[in-house]
Amino acid sequence: MTGTATPTGPNAYVELNFRPNVQLVSTVRRFVSEFYQKALGDPDGTARVALATHELLENAVKYSIDGDTTIRIEVTSGDAPRSVSIVLRNRTDEVHLATIRELLDGIAKAPDAFTFYQKLIASKAKTKEGSGLGLARICAEGEMTIALRVIEGDIVELTATTTVPAPGGQP
Amino acid sequence: MSDLVNISTPDFAGNARRDGDNLLLSLRGNADYAAVDSVEQLLAKAHAEAVRVGTKEASVDLRELEFMNSSCFKSFVGWITEIQEMPDKDQYKVTFLSNPKMHWQKRSLHSLRCFSVELISVVEA
Repeated sequence: MTGTATPTGPNAYVELNFRPNVQLVSTVRRFVSEFYQKALGDPDGTARVALATHELLENAVKYSIDGDTTIRIEVTSGDAPRSVSIVLRNRTDEVHLATIRELLDGIAKAPDAFTFYQKLIASKAKTKEGSGLGLARICAEGEMTIALRVIEGDIVELTATTTVPAPGGQP
Repeated sequence: MSDLVNISTPDFAGNARRDGDNLLLSLRGNADYAAVDSVEQLLAKAHAEAVRVGTKEASVDLRELEFMNSSCFKSFVGWITEIQEMPDKDQYKVTFLSNPKMHWQKRSLHSLRCFSVELISVVEA
């Protein structure tokens, strides 16, 4: 695993290139939670983006073709509300890519992410394979938006973004 | 009080026991992908016992649960669905005890409660 982190400066960021497995996902979530807490100073915001980080990385574990994953987390600094972005990049197959597209289209067409999530929960209640809830959970519970970009055919880049109130500031 | 199931792994622990006709479940640690089978097992055994004894209430203590991923969350959805599918007179209520310092719990339990407002309640403790 290689990585860099800047907890201070204009924009704080962490970038990791690694091959996550189930155990490493939680290790990384704990590490970045500490980073988020220092950079954001907001426990609820930290919980939201930590949840998103975990779900994105578990997706990478399950669906990456070669296992290699890059995650970059960036938090703007200053007194204004903080912008957080989590960019996750890995190679995946067409089936999973189509699933992501369908899910993000569904969220975009829904009245709001939470309404979509509730319908998805009901539809997945009795299915056995996978949860299928992770990305929608990021949008609903994490209050994040997710953008998809496909690079060179099979490299998927998911960017989850949100805003977190500045410490003591306005949301 | 008698234990129905005890699960202990390096990162996750779960327990279900009976207290009279009520069920008490507790989950501690980290309910990530590695814990999915454990959570499934815990909920399946608890539900089977609830059906057997005609439980009216189950309490789920999450106060020491650091995190729950979407797969484990879905296991809870499956459990609640099983209860919903029981005849009305046999259904039992589920109360979650949550830790307000674990901020994910408030959001995830809100999502779960919206799935079945009539069966689920959440208490911050």
